[in-house]
Parts: sequence; structure tokens; C-alpha cells
Amino acid sequence: MTLVVDHLHKRFGSVVALDDLVFEVAPGQVFGFLGANGAGKTTTMRITLGVLEPDAGQVTWRGVESHRLPRSTWGYLPEERGLYSRMRVMDQLVFFAGLHGVPGDVARREALAWLSRFRALDLANRKAEQLSKGNQQKIQFIAAVLHDPQVLLMDEPFTGLDPVNVMLLREAFLELRDRGRTVVFSTHQMEVAEALCESVAIVDRGRMVVGGTLRDVRRSTGRRLVRISVAEGHRLPWLAALPGARVIQAGVERSSVELEPGTEPEDLLAAAVAAGARVLHFEVADPTLEQIFIDHVGRPPDEETHLASAPAAEDAA
Amino acid sequence: MPVGRTQGSGGIRNVWLVARREYIERVRSRAFVFSTLLLTGLAIIVALIPLGVRLVDRATVTRVVVVAPDAAIGDRAVATMDGFLNTRTDTAGDGTPTFTFERLDDPEAARRLVLDGAVAGALLIERTTEGGLDFTVLSIGGLSPDRAQLLQVGTFAVGILDWTASQPPSGTPFVLPGFQVSDPNIGRSGGTTGGSPGTIDAAEYASRRIVGIVFVVLSFLTLVFYGLWVASGVVAEKAGRVMELLISAATAQQLVLGKILGIGLAGLTQVSLVLLPAILALLGSGELGNQLLGPDAAAASSLAGLSPGLIAAFLVYFVLGFALYAALYAGAGSLLSRAEDLQTVALPLSIPAIMGYFPAVLALSGGTSAFIRFASYVPLWSPFVMLARLSIGRVEPWEVVLSLGLLIVTVPLVTLLAIRVYRAGVLLYGQPPTVATFLRAIRG
Repeated sequence: MTLVVDHLHKRFGSVVALDDLVFEVAPGQVFGFLGANGAGKTTTMRITLGVLEPDAGQVTWRGVESHRLPRSTWGYLPEERGLYSRMRVMDQLVFFAGLHGVPGDVARREALAWLSRFRALDLANRKAEQLSKGNQQKIQFIAAVLHDPQVLLMDEPFTGLDPVNVMLLREAFLELRDRGRTVVFSTHQMEVAEALCESVAIVDRGRMVVGGTLRDVRRSTGRRLVRISVAEGHRLPWLAALPGARVIQAGVERSSVELEPGTEPEDLLAAAVAAGARVLHFEVADPTLEQIFIDHVGRPPDEETHLASAPAAEDAA
Repeated sequence: MPVGRTQGSGGIRNVWLVARREYIERVRSRAFVFSTLLLTGLAIIVALIPLGVRLVDRATVTRVVVVAPDAAIGDRAVATMDGFLNTRTDTAGDGTPTFTFERLDDPEAARRLVLDGAVAGALLIERTTEGGLDFTVLSIGGLSPDRAQLLQVGTFAVGILDWTASQPPSGTPFVLPGFQVSDPNIGRSGGTTGGSPGTIDAAEYASRRIVGIVFVVLSFLTLVFYGLWVASGVVAEKAGRVMELLISAATAQQLVLGKILGIGLAGLTQVSLVLLPAILALLGSGELGNQLLGPDAAAASSLAGLSPGLIAAFLVYFVLGFALYAALYAGAGSLLSRAEDLQTVALPLSIPAIMGYFPAVLALSGGTSAFIRFASYVPLWSPFVMLARLSIGRVEPWEVVLSLGLLIVTVPLVTLLAIRVYRAGVLLYGQPPTVATFLRAIRG
């Protein structure tokens, strides 16, 4: 009863886009699909939509191969945004909903409801070419959800949105999830995924690196994070004596210390007490997704991956 | 917010939705309005050409060579016709004669002169067994309907003089001399068209040519033009990235068929808007000409070439031809990424149409060579070539059936191929396509 990405392989000429990619998404979840540009996120989504054929493997939803399902199963927000530039917003929304089988009057009503919740009612009669990028993105999001699809596939939905719209979109995601819809979105912004997702998959160069519930993924490296605050000074000189501990963020208020597997938080606390430091705050936390990503992939997620791109290769992400 | 959803994944309904969107966008566009006005203007001008020809015709000299069974008849015919036809009141004001006549003894030399275009026509005189005279004018279209009529009047005079000169008064009664205009090309092509004489009334022939030219030029322009609409529409959707949303909402099949249907209907709308005033102008110009230039039997036949059957044939070939070209252009457009790329491929794309245009022009001058007949069966060319042949005449029914049959079979095949290319092409961004990308896309 899940969305299963089952051993996908895909290459474009000499470029390997997907290399035995495997993961599952439980229904009714918000799922983060994490990876740098070129990791294979867009390719995976296109295969799921049935627009692209994999070289091997398949994607199934509730046991049915994805390309056999009606297209209205999916709501897709492509990474490359685009609308008919000379067409009015409302006409486009009704047109796209119509392709998914939604009658015109219903589409119009739903579109108005979504526009008003995005505080964009005034856009209804504008032409797409008159909209700002952020507004176009909102319209595209509405176009993707207007037919109330079971699964939402959103490719980098938060890029280019201002904080207010990021918040509106996050609320929309959570509401759709509460209505039993499955939301899969790709991003390279780890903090967004951290705040929204129940489960994530980290992919790199078309391969699954680590995946599962957010908690499992955070613990996947065995590292732990301690946030500590000490009364006198913030330099923590005694830390040097403790093997496997490294300050990753030094602060006046509070410092973050990363512990290698094998070094326990208690050891750190003991070292602090032994050094005579007065501990005001001590908190054991899991590492951030950003750090998990760096640990597994070896570089930050927003660093460009350099693929040997063949001519006419798809600009897949 | 539950949304009501009809069953199924769209099918024909989506084709219709895509077509309707396309139609509305096209017909409302400024380009559509301008091109409609421009084409309508052009068509009206073309429709008024016969009138213009009649005006110009009055001031031009028509060279005719006369070939007679013996020198006496030949000289007498030249003298009679010269005197009779060039003393008419409507001879141009500066004294230029309407016709010049020269006697020639060798019919083969005369035929060559006609074929070379050195003279407008060759008048072949033959003595019939009853003792009367028969006149045949060899011409490949250099003779206007008016002049052909005048020539016939002239030959009538020659016939009467011949009768009075050579017959005793009690002899055989005067027989109206035979008169026909014949195209020397037809005689040479071997007469495989079922033994039809290959002769039609000169005025009607000219009229059919004009109608044929209008139809051939119109289908050529519109097929290439609307084909480019399809290609540019596909490219625009790709370049504007709306394609990603489209292809996730509808299948390649629905998108291609919808686009062809929508633009085709927009094209048909434009053609109707262009043709109706042109036909009215053609009808009106005959009337106008009679008032301005005096009644003229030849003018009445300027519409003779425009039969309802020909208009029907034009529409059938337009629809099928458009479907064929639109599918090709849709497939090609799907392989491009940017609007600029279209400019570089527009010319190569129109080569198939141009290759069909040449045999069509040849067919309009009355040619019926094996190549022209072959070209009129080839699906990419038949919309022009068969149309040209049909407007001139002399087409066997089986030839029409063959050319339509091939076209009807080819259209769905090419459309399926285009859908395959489109499916693979719409998500490819990069360099303009090479032959290799094209083949890869077809193999899918």
C-alpha cells in the first residue's frame, strides 16, 4: 500500500541518471527526496509520472505500475516552472484541471478557493506573463492540486518563494497530508525537509544513500550532537582532552559539539565536571540533516555535482 | 476540498480540450488577424487577375504562325485574318495591331516555336474531306481567352472566303470551320489518358489554369504556414516549460492530435475567410469586366474552372494534406528547445512541400509526364500536384482514388510516428536535433 521505487536504472547517453534506486513512501506521509542537483530526483519523478521510461525497474503505487494508473493519480509541480504566457490564470487552471477530468464549474470554484488561501485572488484574471516568479509558482502549485490527486510530486517546490509563501505552502502540504494525500517533494534545502518530513531519502548520483524515518536517518551515522553552555567563558579548553569530540559550532551562549561513535554524551559531561566547568545547559541531540548529508555524500547538498554531460542530454536533476 | 472527477484518463475529451484551447488562442492572436487580412487581400487580387489580363490584353500583340496545306491558302489566311482582326475598333490607340500572322510551311517547326514560347500559338489549317477547312490552334497557354475567341472569329472569315473562292456557287453548302485549341504537350506524352482528345476550349483552359494556380498556391502556402504554426506551438510549449505540466496531465497522443485538430480548424477558418471574398470577387469581376470592357463571351467562362467538385477536392486534399504536414511539423517541433531553433529548421522542413510544388506548377501548364503523374500519387505531394491536375482536367478516376487512398493510409501512419517522436522529444532539451537524434527518438 505504498509508493515503491523499485530498483530503477536510467541512463541518458553516457550519463547514468539512476543507478539501482530503491525506496518506499508510506501513504499519507510528507516525504522528502533529498539530493544535490543531478542526483536523479527529477528523473525519478518523471518515471513515476509515466512520462519517461526506466531502463530497468519500476515504480508502483498501491501495487499497480505507475504508468498504468490514470494521470490524475498524480499532481506534479515541475522544477522548471512554466505556464501559457498569454493565457489568463483562471483559464489555465480550468484547462489543466479539465485535462484531469474536472468539470469547468468545479475547477473554477476550487481554483478560487486555492487562490484565496494563497492570498492571490487578484491574479485570477491576469495573464501568466504579468506574474512574478513567486506568483507563477503558486499558480503552478494550484494547477498540480486542483484535481485532488492521491500523490503529489513536487520538484523543488520551495525554491524562489519568499518566507511568507514558504509558510503558506508548508501549511498546504500539511493540510493535504491530513486529508490522506501523499506528498513527495524534492529539495536540496535540508532545513525545510527537517521541518516538514516524516521520512526522507537521500540520493546521490542516482543511488540511494540513506532513507527511512527522519529519526532513523538522523541516527544513521552513529554520531551524536551535544549542545552545551558553561558559566565561565565559552572556549571549553578541556574538550581537547576528550577524544572523538569536536566543536562544530562555537557560540557565546551555547556551543554544539559533535561526538564520534564510541564517545558518549556522559563522557563529555564527566570531562566538563572534572575540569571544574559549571554546566548551565546540557542537551543531547541528533545531528542535523545537513550534517548527515555531508557525512554520507562527502559534500554539502547545494554544491554542484559535476556530471559528464553528453550533448542533448536531459537537464535532469 | 473534494473534487468531483469523471472517470477515465480523458481520451477523446482531452484531445478536444487541447484542440479548443489551441483554436481559441490562434484565432484570437494578432498574427491570425493580420495574416487573414493579408491573404484575403492577395486572394482578391489574384481573383481580379483575369480582369487585369483583359485590360492588358488589349494593348499586347499576339504572334501567331499559320501552317496551311498549301501556300495559297496560307497566304490568303494570313491576309484575311490580318485585315479582319487588326482593323477592329478596339485595336490599341497607337496603332499597334492585335495580332501578327506569319506563314510557316513546316508544322513541326511551328510546334517547336509554340513549345519554346516564341509565338503565342500556331494555327494549323487542314482541308477536310468535305472540302471545308479545319483549324487547330497549338498553344501552351500563351493565348488569352479573348484572343482565342478573336482568332476563332478570324478563322470563320477565312472559312467563308475559302468557300466562296473555291466552290462553285451550286457546290457543297458552307460548313462551319472546325476550331479547337490544343496543347502540344499532350500530344507528345503518348495519350495514355485513355484516348481522350486532350483538347478543351481555350477560354475554359485558361480559366482552369487560373483557378488551379490559386488553389495550388493557397494549399502550398497554407500547409507550410499552418505546419509552422504547429511546430512553433510545440516549441513554445517546450521553451516556456509548460510542456512539463502538459505531459503530466495528458498523453502525447492527446496532445499531438489535439494540437493538429485545433490548428487545423483555425486554418480551415482562415482559408474559408480568405476564399469566400475571393470567389465573390471572381464572380463580380466577370460582371464588372462586361460593364467596363463590353460584353465578352470569354469572360463568362472565367469561372468555368471553378466547379463545386474542384472546391470539394481542394477541401479534401487540404484536410488530409494538413493532417500529414501538421504531424510532421509536430514531430519536428518536439525535438527543438528554443523558438530560435525553429528558424534554422523551417527551410529544411518545407523542402518536401517545395519538391511537390514544382510538379504541381508543371501540371498546371498542362504537363502530364510520367513524373507528374507519379508525383500526383505521392502522399506528401498529391495535395498540390493532384489538385493542379484536377483543376486542369484529364485525370482518370482511378488516379484520384489511388492518390486519396495513399494519403488516407499515410496520414495515420505518419501521425503515429510523430506521436512517438513527440513522446521522446518533448522532454529533450539541448542542441537542435540531428538525423541521429531523430532516428533515436523514432526507435523510442
